Amino acid sequence: MTRDESVVAAWIDGRPVTRKDAAREAARLLATARQPVIAGLGADIAGVRAVLDLAGRVGAAVDHMHADALLRDVDVMREAGMMVTTPSEARLRADVLLLAGHSLAEAPDMRARRLDPACPAKRIVWLCPPRKLDPGLVPLHSVGRDTGELPALLAVLRARLNGHPVATAARTIKAIDAMVTELKSARFGVAVWSAGELDALAIEMLCTLVGDLNAGTRFTGLPLPPGDNGRGVLEACGWLSGYPMRTGFGRGYPEHDPWRFDASRLAGSRESDCAVWISAYGAEAPAWTRDLPTIALTTPGARFRTPPRVQVEVGTPGIDHDAVQFVPASGTLMPITAARPSEAESVASVIADILAALPESSSC
Amino acid sequence: MLTRLAGGHVIDPVHGQDGIADLWMRDGRIVAAPDGGDADVTHDLGGKVVMAGAIDIHSHIAGANVNTARLLLPHWHPAAADRPDATWLTRAGWSTDVIGRLYAAMGYTTVVEPAVAPHHALHAHLELADTPIIDTAILSILGNDDFLLGLLRDGESGSAIADYAAWTLSATRGLGIKVINAGGAMAFKSNLRAFSLDDVVPDYGVTSRQIVAALQKAADALGVPHPVHVHCNNLGMAGNVETALATISGFDGLPIHLAHVQFYAYGTEGGRGFSSAAPRLAEAVNRAKTVTVDVGQVMFGQTTTISSDVLRQFNARDRARPRKWVIYDGDSNGGGMVPYEYRRSDFFNAVQWAAGLELFLLIDDPSRVFFTTDHPNGAPFTSYPDLMALLMSRDLRAEWMATLPAEALAVTTLASISREYTLTEIATMTRAAPARLLGLSDRGHLGAGARADIAVYDLGNHRDRAGAFRHAALVFKDGELVVRDGAVVSTPPGRALSLAPEPDAAIGRRLQAYYESRYGLSDALLRVPEWAVGRSQSFEVVSCGR
Repeated sequence: MTRDESVVAAWIDGRPVTRKDAAREAARLLATARQPVIAGLGADIAGVRAVLDLAGRVGAAVDHMHADALLRDVDVMREAGMMVTTPSEARLRADVLLLAGHSLAEAPDMRARRLDPACPAKRIVWLCPPRKLDPGLVPLHSVGRDTGELPALLAVLRARLNGHPVATAARTIKAIDAMVTELKSARFGVAVWSAGELDALAIEMLCTLVGDLNAGTRFTGLPLPPGDNGRGVLEACGWLSGYPMRTGFGRGYPEHDPWRFDASRLAGSRESDCAVWISAYGAEAPAWTRDLPTIALTTPGARFRTPPRVQVEVGTPGIDHDAVQFVPASGTLMPITAARPSEAESVASVIADILAALPESSSC
Repeated sequence: MLTRLAGGHVIDPVHGQDGIADLWMRDGRIVAAPDGGDADVTHDLGGKVVMAGAIDIHSHIAGANVNTARLLLPHWHPAAADRPDATWLTRAGWSTDVIGRLYAAMGYTTVVEPAVAPHHALHAHLELADTPIIDTAILSILGNDDFLLGLLRDGESGSAIADYAAWTLSATRGLGIKVINAGGAMAFKSNLRAFSLDDVVPDYGVTSRQIVAALQKAADALGVPHPVHVHCNNLGMAGNVETALATISGFDGLPIHLAHVQFYAYGTEGGRGFSSAAPRLAEAVNRAKTVTVDVGQVMFGQTTTISSDVLRQFNARDRARPRKWVIYDGDSNGGGMVPYEYRRSDFFNAVQWAAGLELFLLIDDPSRVFFTTDHPNGAPFTSYPDLMALLMSRDLRAEWMATLPAEALAVTTLASISREYTLTEIATMTRAAPARLLGLSDRGHLGAGARADIAVYDLGNHRDRAGAFRHAALVFKDGELVVRDGAVVSTPPGRALSLAPEPDAAIGRRLQAYYESRYGLSDALLRVPEWAVGRSQSFEVVSCGR
């Protein structure tokens, strides 16, 4: 296949158009919008750089589809601090895993055996494990069922660790005390959680518990990242704007406000009058139900509630084109060469086309 | 295009120049005065001081730890006030864009990020590519990594260690080797809470001293222009001058750079058991002619400490101001981000401030003591102009001392020191010497052939030297005007300077296998392909061999 305008899949109101026409219409929509929002943001680092350039030009708010989870960890960090490690150190060095929440059994890190409890051998202590577990994941000690119990259980665990009495069922105290003994005996323990499942209070309690355990031994944390390069987008937003996602550029400079710049709220409240929706990793569509003029950049197969005004298909970073993205296995940004290089567009190139098509005066 | 900088007071210690002269530049380089013919552009610099662009050898401006600090302290971003105007990004706190602009406005044109863990090398280079105007470089950290400690444990040869260092520098595109509390991060993972020069790393059976020695030899064998850049053990602790002195005497006669030595200039005298030992340390540096140091001056105000010395940062966490911190157990070094506010009223902070100035003023040779605040650990780099003014004026120091606790100054000798830096000494310390230390022959001076990185200051008002250094009158980067009257007028991309040693093929195969087996990942974990860095970042290769 050659690089030909006609093979780029682009539509305006469902009609096939050239990529240039699609970019021109997208630029027109953005230049005339009063409060655009760029959401989804499933993109590689090159894509995020382009998106922030665009946001600066048109005064858009920037959000990511997994911002709720990402910002729960960020909020705990910037309110209280935390101790963390890498997936490799957790796998190679940990002798005790403290798992919080039942979703961890299904987490990719567990399934890919990146946190293999058998090699080297790790003892598992699990708060709120699922009912059914693979034999290799069966904990030495566990307590709780529902994730909603976690804040209370963590509070009890912390209290018992620090030698305080607690008023709860004797059976629970017995189980918790056994856990405390196990945790204190760790040489290098790692607490694992997913912010997709835990609320901020539970995460903060868990991180504070990790801090307490370091009074006597070594213990650290491993937050499991959400998908769609969420952590990579967080990092790039950090160095480019100084802030995480949910940052707005409408006033000509970045303002970070997790409530104000939540894309779902902006869409639902009609504060936003135009959206750019990006999903290059999974053909996700926005969850909001309002009919908002949308410019969609997704991989093929996204199913929208209402058809986007402008739609351009893009390739998957690391598959269709080379990309830099956050790699959960390493916990770092890594260069990924395309597994199956194709002519599919990248998010960065489509955004560059839109930027080029913007009228000069839309600079703010 | 031929440009003439007419009638400025040119200060170029490399060429012994200190007087009124014209400078000419063409195509990004300084050229000799042409025989006849007119300049296309002439800047009248009468009454102004002209120096080469400044070079910062140690400033934490990019990478994973720096970025964590950004996310940790969103409310601190307004501290980057006094920004040059222009794009929306200039309101973005300590973003990459703001960092490049603030440095350029002060006449800095080259900055080294001195602590990049190899597994985060790409991240650091991505940030540097987004940092406009200034040229940049990274130092690659070794000394807490399993592979190196394994080589030492197994008694492998010096050439194997040099091969590994060459491979790491090449893969990560580093300009030099950094070692941070050698073995300390590894020891902390085994629950050691203190680690000194002759302590042994558990499981590996090697001492911190042996690790530093191995890396010093490796850098030397490879002809890395910059000597191994050492962050010693016991940073920040009372009495730790003994550690610094032992490190200096242990490496006497060998090229070695000791970083932010102010943080190692502490004795145990006085009622609080904490005093400045800077005079002893300065004397040792004066004697050890192959040793270079940078100061890591403390200035007062809010900052955050960012260090890959995870053990030290863990121990400092309870003194965080405000009370929050991140401790990261990395694959090798990791790091700690601990916010801190240095207060004039704080006894310890005042001693630290004075000890740094004592080092600047008591080390005789301005080409062996480098101008740093260990940004942001001692203070943000935006405080450099104030520090330059302090070095140049005894009266200004006296004004500052009058606001500090007398009890603190009593355990220092600062009040007795009358030395005032000359502009030539400032130019040596911030231009000529750093270029030589890093092996950058076309920087740090104003001779024909040099890169036309030039800073022009209006130092007419001696009462406000700091203001003049903060807002350069003009700054040229590669001959392009980038700053006028302290405001950024153009933002060309910078380039990254790196070594490109040819690593031995056998070590490459061995490391590929090591990465596959230990991490289940290829050595892409530490590689920095040019396509991945993106933007218009270009790399400039600095040659090995001294």
